[in-house]
Amino acid sequence: MTELIYLTVLLPLIGFLINGLFGSKIKNEKIIGTIGSGAIGLSFIVVLLILIETLGKPADQRVTIVTLFQWMKVGNLDISIAYQVDQLSILMALIVTGIGFLIHVYSIGYMHGDKGFWRFFAYLNLFIFAMMNLILADNFVLLFLGWEGVGLCSYLLIGFWYDRKFEKSTTASAAKKAFVINRIGDFGFLLGIFLIYMTFGSLNFTEVFTAANHIPVDESVVSFIALFLFIGAIGKSAQIPLFVWLPDAMAGPTPVSALIHAATMVTAGVYMVARCSIFYAMAPTIMMVVAIIGLLTAMFAATIGLVQNDIKKVLAYSTVSQLGYMFLALGVGAFTSGIFHVMTHAFFKALLFLGAGSVIHGMHHEQNIQKYGGLKKYMPVTFITFLIACIAIAGIPPFSGFFSKDEILWYSYAKGNFLFWLIGALTALITAFYMFRLLSLTFFGKERFDKHHVHPHESPKVMTVPLIILAFFSIVAGFIGIPEVFSGEGGNQIKNWLAPVFADAHSKKITYGMPSHFVEILLMVISVAGAAAAIWLARHVYLTKPGLADQIANRMKKGYSVLLNKYYVDEIYNKLIVQPIYKVSDGFLFKFTDVKIIDGTINRTASLIDLFSNNIKRIQTGVAQFYAIIMMIGIVIALFWIIVSLI
Amino acid sequence: MIPIEYYLSLSAFMFIVGVVGVLTRRNAIIVFMSIELMLNSANLTLVAFSSYLGNPIGQIFVFFVMTVAAAEAAIGLAIIISLFRNKKTVNIDEINILKW
Amino acid sequence: MSQPLAYFFDSLYLIKPETSIIGFLVLILLYDLIFKKEKWLPYISLFGLVVTLFLIIEQYGYNKFAFQSSTNFGMMAIDPFGAFFKIIILLSSIIVILFSILSKELDVARDRMGEYYTLIFGMILGMFLMVSASDLILIYIAVELVSLSSFVLAGFLKNDSRSSEASLKYIIFGGVSSGIMLFGISILYGITGTTNLYEMNSLLQNFDSTNILMILTMILIFAGIGYKISAVPFHFWTPDVYEGAPVTITAYLSVASKAAGIVLLIRLIKSTFVSQKDTFGYWEMIPAFDWQGFLIIISILTMTIGNFSALWQSNVKRMLAYSSIAHAGYILAAIAVLSDQGLVGVMVYFIIYLLMNLGAFLIVIVIKNKINSEELEDYDGLGYRMPLVGVAFTIFLISLTGIPPTAGFIGKLYVFIALVDAKMLVLAVIMLLNSVVSLYYYVRILKHLYLNKPKAETTDIELSFSLKLFILVLAVPNIIFGLYFAPILEFVKTSLIILGI
Repeated sequence: MTELIYLTVLLPLIGFLINGLFGSKIKNEKIIGTIGSGAIGLSFIVVLLILIETLGKPADQRVTIVTLFQWMKVGNLDISIAYQVDQLSILMALIVTGIGFLIHVYSIGYMHGDKGFWRFFAYLNLFIFAMMNLILADNFVLLFLGWEGVGLCSYLLIGFWYDRKFEKSTTASAAKKAFVINRIGDFGFLLGIFLIYMTFGSLNFTEVFTAANHIPVDESVVSFIALFLFIGAIGKSAQIPLFVWLPDAMAGPTPVSALIHAATMVTAGVYMVARCSIFYAMAPTIMMVVAIIGLLTAMFAATIGLVQNDIKKVLAYSTVSQLGYMFLALGVGAFTSGIFHVMTHAFFKALLFLGAGSVIHGMHHEQNIQKYGGLKKYMPVTFITFLIACIAIAGIPPFSGFFSKDEILWYSYAKGNFLFWLIGALTALITAFYMFRLLSLTFFGKERFDKHHVHPHESPKVMTVPLIILAFFSIVAGFIGIPEVFSGEGGNQIKNWLAPVFADAHSKKITYGMPSHFVEILLMVISVAGAAAAIWLARHVYLTKPGLADQIANRMKKGYSVLLNKYYVDEIYNKLIVQPIYKVSDGFLFKFTDVKIIDGTINRTASLIDLFSNNIKRIQTGVAQFYAIIMMIGIVIALFWIIVSLI
Repeated sequence: MIPIEYYLSLSAFMFIVGVVGVLTRRNAIIVFMSIELMLNSANLTLVAFSSYLGNPIGQIFVFFVMTVAAAEAAIGLAIIISLFRNKKTVNIDEINILKW
Repeated sequence: MSQPLAYFFDSLYLIKPETSIIGFLVLILLYDLIFKKEKWLPYISLFGLVVTLFLIIEQYGYNKFAFQSSTNFGMMAIDPFGAFFKIIILLSSIIVILFSILSKELDVARDRMGEYYTLIFGMILGMFLMVSASDLILIYIAVELVSLSSFVLAGFLKNDSRSSEASLKYIIFGGVSSGIMLFGISILYGITGTTNLYEMNSLLQNFDSTNILMILTMILIFAGIGYKISAVPFHFWTPDVYEGAPVTITAYLSVASKAAGIVLLIRLIKSTFVSQKDTFGYWEMIPAFDWQGFLIIISILTMTIGNFSALWQSNVKRMLAYSSIAHAGYILAAIAVLSDQGLVGVMVYFIIYLLMNLGAFLIVIVIKNKINSEELEDYDGLGYRMPLVGVAFTIFLISLTGIPPTAGFIGKLYVFIALVDAKMLVLAVIMLLNSVVSLYYYVRILKHLYLNKPKAETTDIELSFSLKLFILVLAVPNIIFGLYFAPILEFVKTSLIILGI
């Protein structure tokens, strides 16, 4: 069964080819949608069967490498198209195909009537293809190909409605921004890959990680590798300072935001760092960097989320913030918790986005939450599922978000320090607050939209069924990771499942003694109580006493506008980086270096070549005898030259 | 017995005459004759060496070369006739529409 | 049965593919004489080629001599290396015969097509012998057989003065070259007293000084081979003949007869001048002639002159002729490594060269059929009038340039790797620079196809379904092999067995 893993890559590719090549001719949305979703659905079934088979094997035999073919062999460098099926990649593949499938189905309803319907499904399938390559790859080259592939699809899908306006500019420029910023991260990633090849002489995961584990390597080299890889992760997973592209990426259709910019692609950075956990375990300094960046991002993005009015923007900042949590987990060495949070987050964040999509769909593409209100009675299914997602993200037990988030907070205390926990917990409170602000403003209170023109309605079944399924998993997904303090030693299923993957990294990292269970439960109670209080506060501010929010905003005008303008990060980048680069490149690089030096050289060379080739071709006079003469001269010269060289 | 050097000198001379003929004569038919001369100089060398080494391979080779030369001459003449029909000339230096 | 006769019958068994070609040659000749109908000839030819292909595949693993003499060396070496190139020759023959069915240019000569196919089979036979020959007599006869058939084929359109002119230039140049080669062979025979390459090798083993006469003979012999593979300075006939000859024949000459010439060169070097092979597959050479230095110079000259002359050509066929000279230069560079890895480069390159070059010529034929021109300026805007042709041509040209993800990149990559491994960096860099130059003229065709406005008002040109399919059959592998080339490599590595050391 495991050998069939290639199907999970092949099927989306086939779907992409069919829809991409013939989509414009098929025209029938049902067929296109069925092909697109069917390809992913089948892949999901394959992954599920592989999971069942793998569960039947003993824990130390769960890694299988499926080599399809050798792609190139150049000297030592041996790159195969090979897939590594192990606990981590199976989990990621389940998330990608499972949630991917639901979002595909949802898109059939959401994209109904769009003129680019076939293009949309082709891109989505291509994205899944690239993403599966990314997570299944058994070497860095294939991983990088997938990495670039998802970046390309992200670019294509952000700019999907290339003819529409987005904020002050166009969707195309949002797509470009995402692409350029990702390039910065990719550059770091590439440097990391080169360094790995230089150090270990291979790019194969098994070989590199085994070598890293057993051969003594200079710590500074490993630190650089870890740092470069992390720079790649920062770009892809939208961390400080490269997070600015993700909120703009909301220009794409909402299912895209759900799939790519919440559930799967942005977690690729987390996956990659977890995959390379051994490097991080060997470089404690870089791990600290990872933790701090994650923590800061979580806090920073959450505060911005407090005041945003665009429903998708709020969710985007919330995603950035949750990704920060994941890096915090990785940074303190709780790799399992990070991956666990990737999973639960995928469920509830996809649900939030799809719910938001449903609202936007019902509200005729209005995205401002100040213009919603009281939608509960118009969209009951959307409301209930959205509520479940909000509870999950706020971290209220026994919903899934509670388990993963609390585990992260616990480890940030146990393996990190109190400050980590404090900021993390504070972020959790803020998260609960702004999520319920969003919920209150959207579904409760007065109806603030124009009732004559806007008629809110529930979405069709094809959209609500995926919502219900996701809601179900948002509730129960946490039970595979019940903390050991409740479930007893070895009762945390996901930890047991992933343990072999991170065994080497854990053995490298020095662990301190764990604090007692009492402390764990105490911290848990505090954070849950805090979240509950934040929820109450949000309802109080936005429902019971409407107008209070405005008063607070007025009183703290400065702070409010800083938050509303996202700490002016975009403006600062523009002033400090974009403008100077532009000026230097225009004034010096273009007008001087490019025009004078490079163009000048090229033009001279070109005219030289021109002259040369014109003269060379004149030898071909067309007279056969002349040819024979030159041939004879050639023979004589060759003879002469060899004889002279002998003397 | 005549020493082998004599044969070889003669054949080298024939070869050079052939080459010079190819390079200088304008008439395509004479050019072909010069090519035949080159082939025959090689034949002379082969036979000379064959008898000098007491080894029959060279003489066998000569028969093949003669056959090939005959075929080449036949094809060459046919091509010249075909060209003459088109261009009304067999002067090589006038046949140069294909160039550069 | 007496011993020599037994040898003889054993050998007949080994030359089944050649026998099959002869049989079909006679069959085509008779059919043409008796029925005088063109219609079935191409299909009989194709059938004959397919049968021969099966025969070659059947005897693929053999590694022995045919027609052994008393010294245990034979006239022909039947080995996987030869079989590999015979397969390449057959594939290109099949493709070229399909071209001939399509080509409108040959319509004026449809009543003489019996001769056409007979001559093509004559060429195939000659090339098969060239590929296997290990005796100077057979080498000479094989080269002449190929040449004589191709002289006639180049002038096949006898009412077209360009075709006749091409033919005349070809025969003069070919005659002179083979005359020079024969003179070289005759001296070589005098020096060694044998005509068998392997026997020569065992005689040369304890030959440790350089001999001016030996150098002379090698240069003279190289004149004959160099003319076949159009290496500078023996390339002058190439552009003129390629331009004047029918496109189908041009395509054939540029792939098949070049392949045969390359094999002849490799076999000459490998079976005569190699004393032993080291563990990395590098050949230790007998110091009778500095093949490496000689080939490096020739290859640099060939690729540079080919590319630079191609830059300003206005006739696409002529441009492709120069481009094929440049490609011969790349292949010579790989041979100059004188190692098994270099040979891998040559063989990989040839499979891919077959696909991309014949593909480009197919497009030239298709366009010539539709607009009756091979001039670059008549190609203006064709990319929009014939979308499939435009896309396919783009693929072929990019592949010829050697840009990923096309197969051409893989071909260049393997040559490049062989050069770098052998520390021949200067040659590698020159090759890279040449690729850059070649990009210019290949892209120039694309510019005409897509960016230039057509001069007159035009309509879309429709292609028949079978033609579209044919174009795709050549274009798609150019992409697939660019991404997934393990099977090519596998095939090449199993074929890398040359009889002898």
